[in-house]
Amino acid sequence: MNNTAALEASSLSRRYGSTWALDDCSLSLPTARVIALVGPNGAGKTTLLHLATGLLQPTSGSIRVLGELPGANPEILGRVGFVAQEMPLYRNFTVAEMLRFGEKLNPTWDQHLAVDRLESLSIPLAQKVGTLSGGQRGQVSLAIALAKRPELLLLDEPLASLDPLARRDFLAALMESVAEHGVSVVLSSHLVSDLERVCDHLVVLRNGRVAVDGDIGGLVRTHRLVSGPRHTGDLGGVGEVIDRTDTDRQTVALVRTHGPVLDPTWVVREVDLEEIVLGYLGGRGGSSASADPTLRAVQSTPSEVGS
Amino acid sequence: MIWLTWRQHRAQALATLIGLGAIGVFLLITGPRIASAFHELHACLVVPGKDCSQLHDSFDRRFSGLSFLVPVFMVVPMLMGVFLGAPLIAREVEQGTHRLAWTQSVTRGRWALTKIGLVSVFTLAAAGLFAWMVSRWSYPLVAASDGRFGFGVFDLRGIVPIAYALFALALGTAVGALIRKTVPAMAVTLGAFVAVRAVVELVLRPRYLPAQTVSYPFLQGSPRAGLGDWLISSRVFDPTGRFVSPDGGITVNPSALAHLCPGVPATPSLGGKDEVGRCLSQLGVRFVDTYQPGSRYWLFQGIESAIFLLLAAGLIVLAMWLIRRRIS
Repeated sequence: MNNTAALEASSLSRRYGSTWALDDCSLSLPTARVIALVGPNGAGKTTLLHLATGLLQPTSGSIRVLGELPGANPEILGRVGFVAQEMPLYRNFTVAEMLRFGEKLNPTWDQHLAVDRLESLSIPLAQKVGTLSGGQRGQVSLAIALAKRPELLLLDEPLASLDPLARRDFLAALMESVAEHGVSVVLSSHLVSDLERVCDHLVVLRNGRVAVDGDIGGLVRTHRLVSGPRHTGDLGGVGEVIDRTDTDRQTVALVRTHGPVLDPTWVVREVDLEEIVLGYLGGRGGSSASADPTLRAVQSTPSEVGS
Repeated sequence: MIWLTWRQHRAQALATLIGLGAIGVFLLITGPRIASAFHELHACLVVPGKDCSQLHDSFDRRFSGLSFLVPVFMVVPMLMGVFLGAPLIAREVEQGTHRLAWTQSVTRGRWALTKIGLVSVFTLAAAGLFAWMVSRWSYPLVAASDGRFGFGVFDLRGIVPIAYALFALALGTAVGALIRKTVPAMAVTLGAFVAVRAVVELVLRPRYLPAQTVSYPFLQGSPRAGLGDWLISSRVFDPTGRFVSPDGGITVNPSALAHLCPGVPATPSLGGKDEVGRCLSQLGVRFVDTYQPGSRYWLFQGIESAIFLLLAAGLIVLAMWLIRRRIS
């Protein structure tokens, strides 16, 4: 459509009392992507999403969504869909009344989209929202957010309250509409494994700051887990060190590379999204079962319990 | 937004109307009886010089049981505020649904103003109906009594109940936006409403305009009797203008009385009271009454309503500011 960023933050900060929930964040998120916003609880994910919807105002710095000030007017409110963390709905409304709520409050409302979506999920429109399961409530919330036909969809921990099956259905429904309508999506989560299949851009927040922001393909290409004999000084010749673990005999590190790592004393292997996220969060590798045979040596070392 | 407001608050609206309907039925049943009894009394009162005290006593006795309605009617405007106002914002924030509502294509300012506006219009209509019903029904009771200014009389009739209800609604809305929990907001609204009403009633209302005074001989009838004045105090002064006692009660020194009023029994029997009074008034002992003239009734209704409507407007401004700037 145009080349304005889906979400652009510049020195964005937000303070609650004396604690900074977001501290000097600068970001530019591309449109037509599914963006994972990852970080532990309290990292500032919800604060960032609330700032992006206009629910919150920044303490300092600025934020724009689709080139506009969030929540400033009905037009930009209509272009941004939001599902809050608790997936709030009016519990004593029926599903049909929730859709009517969406219709009354959004000029761009697509009633067919909402009804078709809920019927295909066998969610009865006459049922009270309060009697729906958590998964069904999530689907109703998503249907309302999608039926206003937003250009940008912000989802705050949409998977947290869902069981694995509902999680899979929710993500499937989300991906289907992304493919169909070209919506930009920002999806926050503290679980990385769920997002790996659906997201193509990663933002990691840590203590209110942006730890990493980039295309997932690019991140996977440029990050490597290297291991070798215990190394006291800097790790030379491998680019930026993101996270390192030193045990008595061994050093394991997540590094950002600019080219092939040539030092033959290092074992180099590729990383997955989870390892990148954990590395940026200062976690301890925790490499999950990987099929890469070159890693067995590394995985069997005490580095795993070195934390 | 209109549909949403209706859908969210229809149960409360229905409950309010059922409550008003029940009050209305009660007033319709008791009203005609009061009116016909008063008709009889009134026919006697208009005849000059006729002694209607027996009729008056029986009228008072017959309907004194209705005084239990005074506190009931007094809390009705407050309840509208507590049950319509306090949950208006607090319940949304408590259940997190404000985040749903405020991220649709309606700014939260418009969302809040529509909700507050529509509920205010409903409250205005319901409280107006209530005030009209009570005013009409109680007309004979008030006409047969001292006046329209009394506690539990002024507050229940005319236009002030409407202003109280709108104030209670605004108070509940603002407290709800501040506390963001429905039940505590209701409790605080209740307490604050009672406090403000008490201060206005006891401290401000007697001072809306400077009170007037009238002076007349001791134990004689006031020249302002029957004008529906609000008597604020009635005090006794001696002939030199020295204040003797409040509220007309005096103690008499028997030997001094015997000296000043020869022939009057020193320890006045029930029958001797008049003689004592006549003697004292001849000596120049006087009543001085402080009062607000009955003709100021509607002016006072207007002033009191204006005070509560201004407070309500201020509270709505506060609530809007909290909604726009403090809640997320």
